[in-house]
Amino acid sequence: MTAQAPPPAAAAERPAPARDRAAPGRRRPVRRERQGPAYIFLSPWILGVVLLTLAPMAVSLYLSFTDYNLFDPPKWVGLRNYAEMFTEDPRYWRSVGTTLLYVVVAVPLKLALALGVALLLNSMRTGKGFYRSAFYAPSLLGASMSIALVWRALFNDGGTVDELLSGVGINTGGWVADPDLAVFVVVLLTVWQFGAPMVIFLAGLQQIPTDVYEAAALDGAGRWRQFVSVTLPMLSPVLFFNLVLETIQSFQVFTPAFAISAGKGGPADSTNFYTLYLYERGFSASHMGYASAMAWVLLLAIGAVTVVLFRTSRSWVFYANEEG
Amino acid sequence: MTSTPGIRRTPRTARRPRTPRSRTRPPRALAALAVLSALALLLSGCSGDASGSSGGKVTLTFAWWGNDDRHKRTNEAVDLFEKRHPNVTVRTSFASYESYVQKLATQAAGGDLPDVAQLDYRQISQYAGSDTLRDLGPYVKSGALRTGAFDKELLSTGAYEGTQYALPMGSGTTGFAYDAAVFEKAGVDPPKPGWTWQEWADAGRAVSDLGLKGPNGKPYTGHTDMGVHEDAFEMWLRSRGKQLYASEDELGFTARDLARFWSFTDKLRREGVVSQAKDTSQISGAVESGPMGRKLAATDFTWDAPFLGYPPLLGDSVHFAPVPTTGGKAGQYIKPTMLLGVGANSEHPKEAAELVDFLLNDPAAGDILGVTRGVPPNQEIAERVSKDLKGPEKELYDFGKKVIRYGVDPPPKAPPRGDVVLQVSFSRVYQQVVYERQSPAEAAEEYVAEAERELR
Repeated sequence: MTAQAPPPAAAAERPAPARDRAAPGRRRPVRRERQGPAYIFLSPWILGVVLLTLAPMAVSLYLSFTDYNLFDPPKWVGLRNYAEMFTEDPRYWRSVGTTLLYVVVAVPLKLALALGVALLLNSMRTGKGFYRSAFYAPSLLGASMSIALVWRALFNDGGTVDELLSGVGINTGGWVADPDLAVFVVVLLTVWQFGAPMVIFLAGLQQIPTDVYEAAALDGAGRWRQFVSVTLPMLSPVLFFNLVLETIQSFQVFTPAFAISAGKGGPADSTNFYTLYLYERGFSASHMGYASAMAWVLLLAIGAVTVVLFRTSRSWVFYANEEG
Repeated sequence: MTSTPGIRRTPRTARRPRTPRSRTRPPRALAALAVLSALALLLSGCSGDASGSSGGKVTLTFAWWGNDDRHKRTNEAVDLFEKRHPNVTVRTSFASYESYVQKLATQAAGGDLPDVAQLDYRQISQYAGSDTLRDLGPYVKSGALRTGAFDKELLSTGAYEGTQYALPMGSGTTGFAYDAAVFEKAGVDPPKPGWTWQEWADAGRAVSDLGLKGPNGKPYTGHTDMGVHEDAFEMWLRSRGKQLYASEDELGFTARDLARFWSFTDKLRREGVVSQAKDTSQISGAVESGPMGRKLAATDFTWDAPFLGYPPLLGDSVHFAPVPTTGGKAGQYIKPTMLLGVGANSEHPKEAAELVDFLLNDPAAGDILGVTRGVPPNQEIAERVSKDLKGPEKELYDFGKKVIRYGVDPPPKAPPRGDVVLQVSFSRVYQQVVYERQSPAEAAEEYVAEAERELR
């Protein structure tokens, strides 16, 4: 990569290499000479991307067409993993159903709570910092296994929640052991971690100029009217951002479900989320090929949902520069 | 491990006077190479001292699963081994069964099985068939591993396609732990050899009819719901002349057989004779988490080694009964409780074999280990150990001998590879029945379909 012999790719980019050579003192060749060190300093990241992301993805795509049990060399089976997944495996569809139910319930609840608390905090005059930290704390802790285990203990048979409910005469026998309720234990744990979207909402709310509200108030808009006609539209880019982020995250929910069901997705598969089932297929049942196929379907599904969200966003997300 | 002495002697580069920058500035390609090699070093840094030996010192790794008592005894035996072999250090690790099985599978896949690993009967086909275990034949032949005092049939459970890959650590059998005091209160005779499944159901009904209450006012039922146990189903099946597997890739029963078994337990659940769904679903293999351990049921289907967990928990009235029969035909068999294998990539197979031999054949090790892994496979050790036994341990030892007299079949061939997964599936699919999300027939169809995919 010296000045005398420019790499062919770099040469092809420039329309008139002859002119550069004619004027060696100009900016471009100097910049080109400095690219070398830049790439050297970037190499850890480039290597990281290639070795830790792209290569594993390629391998996983290959494995998804094989039968691979970790011990023997992978056997090429074509589309059988995909066919088995869609046509022969009732557990697969149960895990899809559980995950969709979770996404549909948890994401709106979490965003609503985050927005609600952000609105409250935004209107506070004192102690904002304290409450902001207090509400954000669960998001920091929540991703950890230990909190999920505490959560499990709270909602388990004989746990605190069960005891309290029994105290007022509702005997649930523990939510964790009830296939109709167990998934909501996970939902509650996620919703409780509303801190991250809340902070983003808060930042968005503070961006809205107060004179817009004043103008609306002059026009006779009440608080609700102001919220619907000013806050929501002005906040819609932030709302959209949070929605996309939370949806993608929710599809990949793993830790809380793993901890709450002790890694089994039970009872009766009721907390067997997509990623949990994927993990079980890959690491407990040693069907890496099948797990890889599941991972690729998940990737495509998340991609599709994101595209749909972006499409619909055109009708409800307003950017300030569009309005002018 | 410890730092190599060589490092100290090299002069510290920081002290060297620096040469002017312009002269030392390396060509770019060289700089890139330096960065790359530094990265490569970083990446491979974890495997610094892989040899495990330095200066004639040998380090072995030894892993097992079990309860606290077993961990204590095994560590004690290992200490004794280290005392006798001063050049060998044994690094031990242990866990509960479920996490152990998962960890071992990951290690095996990476070609990094511990030098000595405790194995389940179910894992033999999987590991031996994929060359993760070392052939122990040469060590047996050379006398480094003594198997002369072993029961021949039991010994053969560690063989796969004619090659000895593992040695049994003990023999055990299934049965029912039951609370004799509760049985007496319900007016039920203690179970006798040859009792039938019908008598078993009736006994449970009588206990449930007492209307006892467990902790938190939950109803106390006759039996733990054994529909979750693949092992219990196997006994039930064998007492009807069938078996779990017909071959490496074929089931030995049909969905109808399984539906019949689950209908039997499901009906008892609906009657309140066996534990209820929420309690059944908490069964995890540890005695404390099952309905009997939580004082919610009078019996539990169990292997003999875990049975020893019950008397300390529930008192001396807990005894061990044989598995019920179908019209007098028993399905019970003597199985290796667990086995010991040597990793195929072990760098010190000789020392590993010595450790295995010590654990299984040394009288002093036998005294320490007792019957914590079932009746010792070395019959001389078993005889020696039995003399000091008392209480539940003695009962189990005698039970093992008695069971042989009732007539037990030789153990079936080691289960096929897929069985590790299917055992878990069995209890999971049955949960669909106890939570009334599927009928026994539907669940049985689902299980058989899954098993067929797993075995193909």
